[in-house]
Amino acid sequence: MKTSAKARLAAGVLALAAALTAGAALIPGERTPPVAGAPLQLVETPVSAVSLAGAIQALTTRLRRLPGDHQAWAQLGSAYVQQARLSADPSFYPKAEQALARSAALSPGNFAALTGQAALAAGRHDFTEAVRLAKLSQAANPYGQGAQAVLADAYTQLGRYGEATRAIDRLMELHPGVASFTRASYDAELRGDRTAARRMLEHALADAVSPADIAYCRHYLGELALRSGDLPGATEQYRLALQAAPDFAPALAGTARAAALDGRLDEAAGRYAAVVGRLPLAQYVIEYGEVLSAAGKDPAEQWALLRAQRELMKAAGVGDDLTWAEFEADHGSAARAVDHAEAEYARNPNVVAADALAWALHRDGRDRQALPYARKATATGWRNALLHHHRAEIERSLGLSAESKKSAARARDADPAFSPDLPALARFS
Amino acid sequence: MELRINRRALIGIGVAGALTASSFALLRAETGVASSHREAPMIAGDPRNDNTDVYAFVSPDRPDTVTLMANFIPFEEPNGGPNFYQFDTDSRYNIKIDSDGDAKPDTVYQWTFRNEDKRGTATFLYDNGPITSLNDKNLLFRQRYTLKKITHNGTRTLVEDGVVAPSNTGAASMPDYGSLRTQSIKALPGGGKAFAGQADEAFFADLRVFDLLYGGNLSEVGQDTLKGYNVHSLALQVPKDEVALKGDAGRNPVIGVWSTVDKWSPKGYVQVSRLGQPLVNEVVVPAGLKDAFNALPPYQDADVAAVVKRVTHPEVPRLLAAIYGLKAPRTPRADLAEIFLTGIAKTNGPIKADLNSQGLNKDAGKLRPSEMLRLNMAIAPAAEPDRLGVLAGDLQGFPNGRRLGDDVIDIALQAMAGAAQSGKLVDALAAGDKVNQNDKPLGTRFPYIPLPGDTSVNES
Repeated sequence: MKTSAKARLAAGVLALAAALTAGAALIPGERTPPVAGAPLQLVETPVSAVSLAGAIQALTTRLRRLPGDHQAWAQLGSAYVQQARLSADPSFYPKAEQALARSAALSPGNFAALTGQAALAAGRHDFTEAVRLAKLSQAANPYGQGAQAVLADAYTQLGRYGEATRAIDRLMELHPGVASFTRASYDAELRGDRTAARRMLEHALADAVSPADIAYCRHYLGELALRSGDLPGATEQYRLALQAAPDFAPALAGTARAAALDGRLDEAAGRYAAVVGRLPLAQYVIEYGEVLSAAGKDPAEQWALLRAQRELMKAAGVGDDLTWAEFEADHGSAARAVDHAEAEYARNPNVVAADALAWALHRDGRDRQALPYARKATATGWRNALLHHHRAEIERSLGLSAESKKSAARARDADPAFSPDLPALARFS
Repeated sequence: MELRINRRALIGIGVAGALTASSFALLRAETGVASSHREAPMIAGDPRNDNTDVYAFVSPDRPDTVTLMANFIPFEEPNGGPNFYQFDTDSRYNIKIDSDGDAKPDTVYQWTFRNEDKRGTATFLYDNGPITSLNDKNLLFRQRYTLKKITHNGTRTLVEDGVVAPSNTGAASMPDYGSLRTQSIKALPGGGKAFAGQADEAFFADLRVFDLLYGGNLSEVGQDTLKGYNVHSLALQVPKDEVALKGDAGRNPVIGVWSTVDKWSPKGYVQVSRLGQPLVNEVVVPAGLKDAFNALPPYQDADVAAVVKRVTHPEVPRLLAAIYGLKAPRTPRADLAEIFLTGIAKTNGPIKADLNSQGLNKDAGKLRPSEMLRLNMAIAPAAEPDRLGVLAGDLQGFPNGRRLGDDVIDIALQAMAGAAQSGKLVDALAAGDKVNQNDKPLGTRFPYIPLPGDTSVNES
């Protein structure tokens, strides 16, 4: 959401310090921002493009003074959605929801609230709803960038790649920048054009201002290098990501991944232990378990942690079928993997879900049913070693040896460093 | 970064991970963050490509010339980061001029930038010792610019290798910042001057005045919201004839001025920012149209009914009426359409003056309504400029062009309340935002805008 300098008054204005201290929580559960060290006369500092936390604090302060500012509520809600993305902390979603609802109540149909609600739906993996809301936002403001960004993400997850590409093109026509270049990079990668994917990330990097965005661009430059077998190049990019944002967990995991694929399993296990200690996302726990196994150690504790997490999530009504489809297929019950994969594919028929379903069916001994999904998973041209390896295995089981050789060659060509023994390390979104 | 999972629940099922505790209730019905879903950054601010203000005025010390200025990068905190307070090297920064009134540019001054970075990987520092001149070896990072003039006759390079006056990193490293500013000013062929560099944010205002739009009131104003911040400024001083229709400022003294930024994309440059008159984005263009306004050329303004309607049926007067018990002028506001869209001329609407419409030019063609800052260069500089400009009888000021000292907030409030049409200031609004001048005195020579500050804004 571009605002002109002065419109940043929608967030960037000054209040008397007295107003800061007189603050009941705006949102239930919201702590009053600390005001220690606030100078005497000023301050809702200008919202900077650099610090999300600073933006949230400034908006919160402003809204305490001006609870009728629907634009600031929309900005606050959108900032919470971003906070959830960066911290992997879903407790920001309810806060986002409330702030966006306030904006919508104050100014029904305003595009900024709709954009925020669309981004929130996408964050919560309700991509169909995200598309619906983003389209409403687009109708209210055809020049809005946020709506196109959400459309691109949601269509990608729904496997509607042509529509995703069109949304990215439109976003690029509206405002070339971090949001459009990063999405254009992923789009190119999915089409198998690594050169364009790298170039687009370099443009995104040149445009990035906030440490989090710089780290994001560096990290995915690292991922591109890693998936093409360039481990030193990947490690360097992860290092630069961490230089920009020292607690950027994906890059910490990246350095562990690069060490493991380079055969330095003990070092990798140590790094994973630190990552999982800091942020026990299922993806990282599974990678850690696989690295422990490869190092001849017992991953049982990691698998137990995962299953506990799954129970916890289930009790909370949370579904992340993709993670469990992949985990069960590689390390657990094939039948359960198929159930999860079918559920995921029914909701989000994208190439990653198609691969998960193909692999689960293969593990369950149902190769004939698996093959169409394996073909679908490799149909976009994405140079993803794991997808081609899975297809090769399925073709081999069906006695399609020429096809299988071709698929195996594609896997090797995509990533000479690919290791079938560390499948989770080859999974990347 | 922490994933919040209830520790006790985990221990309860026999696992103790290194997990941070938080409210389990908040996790309810939340999908954690799936590993399989790449979430790219959403739209963030783009300060390097953000136009803050445009100025255009007959130069007070050289009345045969006109000074044009466009500022960018709002709210630069002094000492806050020379590393990203820079012009965007992938963008084109433009000041555009429409001399004949068809809403299309007849002259474009275009800046592009490149970095000269000698820091290597060893240091982030901007300088490694005192900087006594622009080409001092101690200055490890500088931006250079190319300035082109584009007209119907083609493109001409005016400055090949200009140096952007650096961010002011304080007295220790830049003991005489003024000399760096002076050295950065380039002479142009034909007698003009050019400047690019950091400067004080000369716009003064209590921006809380706009809280009117959200149920605020004017009781809490009187503080210069922009005091102490810096911006990045692009300025030109050129002979009037150089920008006048047919090169003749005597016959055709009125020009329309606006500034744009075009960003590079794989499919060509994209206009991402546009600014003419001050406050248009705040008080005229509604939120849902701001993005469109930034993307459109002035030529298309007249076709966007919603923008035109906001000029003729504005919201601010209704709010002022409600707060001050003023009578809001009757709509449609033909006076505001003159100020914002056609320029002021007796033939254009109710304001009884021939002031600053391109239609007043002797060789003018058909006038197309569009939003831009219009300046009549024939009006000589005021001996004693009045901050209220035209409304106070000082015809050299806003909305006839815009000088650095014009109090555009107070002028805009008065104009919204009908002062331009009635010719009388509205007493109830006499105080306006209670901020009447910049905290730093303006310069007497080009580029007039004060030197950038080096004291942190929030230092008490």
